Amino acid sequence: MARKLAMVIDASKCIDCKGCMVSCKVANGVPEEHWRNWIKPTEPQFGPGRRPSIRFQPGGCMHCDKPTCVEACPTGATFKDKETGEVVIDKDLCIGCGNCIPACPYDARYRNPVSRKADKCNYCPERRAAGLEPACVDTCPTKARVFGDINDPDSEASRLLRENKPRVQVVVNEATNTKPNMYYIGSPGDAAWPRKAVVPSSMVAMKEAAPLVKGLVGLTGLGVLAMLGRQLFAGDSGDSHEEDRHG
Amino acid sequence: MARQFKRHDRSDIFIHWFNAACWLLLLITGIGLISNPAIDPLGSGYPEAMRSLVGGGANLLAIHEVIGFVWILGFIWYLAVNARGAGFFLKEVFMVSPARDMAWMLKKMVLMTLGPKPLKMIGVNPELPKQGFYNMGQKAFAQASVAGGVVIAFTGVIMFLSDKTFGAEATGIVSWAVTLHFIAVGVVFAGLLVHIYMAAISPEERPGFRSMFTGHVPENYARHHHGLWYEKVRSAPENDG
Repeated sequence: MARKLAMVIDASKCIDCKGCMVSCKVANGVPEEHWRNWIKPTEPQFGPGRRPSIRFQPGGCMHCDKPTCVEACPTGATFKDKETGEVVIDKDLCIGCGNCIPACPYDARYRNPVSRKADKCNYCPERRAAGLEPACVDTCPTKARVFGDINDPDSEASRLLRENKPRVQVVVNEATNTKPNMYYIGSPGDAAWPRKAVVPSSMVAMKEAAPLVKGLVGLTGLGVLAMLGRQLFAGDSGDSHEEDRHG
Repeated sequence: MARQFKRHDRSDIFIHWFNAACWLLLLITGIGLISNPAIDPLGSGYPEAMRSLVGGGANLLAIHEVIGFVWILGFIWYLAVNARGAGFFLKEVFMVSPARDMAWMLKKMVLMTLGPKPLKMIGVNPELPKQGFYNMGQKAFAQASVAGGVVIAFTGVIMFLSDKTFGAEATGIVSWAVTLHFIAVGVVFAGLLVHIYMAAISPEERPGFRSMFTGHVPENYARHHHGLWYEKVRSAPENDG
């Protein structure tokens, strides 16, 4: 069975130390003003007669099963890897058209100002190749972030999902549910913050133009076949060319 | 040998076949660069096959870009060596006399597919109005090729520059360039099917097809296919005709 790399997050363990964000930035050389991951805090609740509470929700690209970013890419430069379940960016094919960026309901993507291409979490492939965990997971002091193959029943991520089944939740926008592969155990706080995925109007226009372009090519193709049919079977072109023969 | 009339310079002939070769290569590489189930003109197997053939999508993109720039440079070269010919071409192609040319176009489409009978049945004389250096069909395709070519080249350069110099604020332009590039190629390609049939497969235009190698057409062909042009050049000196 193909692997399915995912992150299982015990949000109740997160202390908002931002270690994951910093180590990711360092490990991946993420330029200033941009982040590949985040911790979203809730508004602290102060009220009479109750202890103040706040929730922290660590996140990042959720490597969705229905990735709207992939649907917005015209060239397949970003795609769902069938072997690992990752949403991958082929940096050499991507030209940085930016279609995928508003298409992510989590704003997990940004256009890298140095490479001028789309960028986001890739689960640190260089570190994994060296037998290490992704930087954010490795750094997390409370082990709130757990990374692994959830199709492998022996992985830590699988075990956590199995043991916490009734309280596992995902963070989605119901209007554009992308089937994310970031699972929260323990309350993540606000689970309704993702916005609707937006495919740029230019990409919508390209998709709508595609059948029209095919129709136009098909129509002229039929016209050519009609002319060819007449040439082959009617024998005589039948128009003003008789004068050619006389002339 | 029958009197010959000159239609194309050597640079005209070169740019025509150069354009044809570039179009063929750009089309087969370009279709391979689209990979999205909602768009794929030939299904998702085609881009996969093209990419594995050249060792990945990045290589295919690089090949497409190189050929694209060679194509643009070819036209710059042509404009430099034969600006007069290019000017003549554009003038002939974009000057349309509406009544005459539309009548020609409509009648020709009926004649080529259904023959003269439907025209006679509705009381229309199947004889075609005389045409100039180009007939209306050639003009229509040339207009689409010129306008489409400009759009294709312009949007192509924008896409090329996207990850070279453009910032995130330009992605709206780049994304529209992708869409317009695709639509313009589609429209010109639709015309290209008719162009190839008319020029290379249909027997009528055989002398015209030959002229795209030799540069000349026989008098008879000039008289019957390009009457208005023939009337202008028939009295000209032989060598220049």
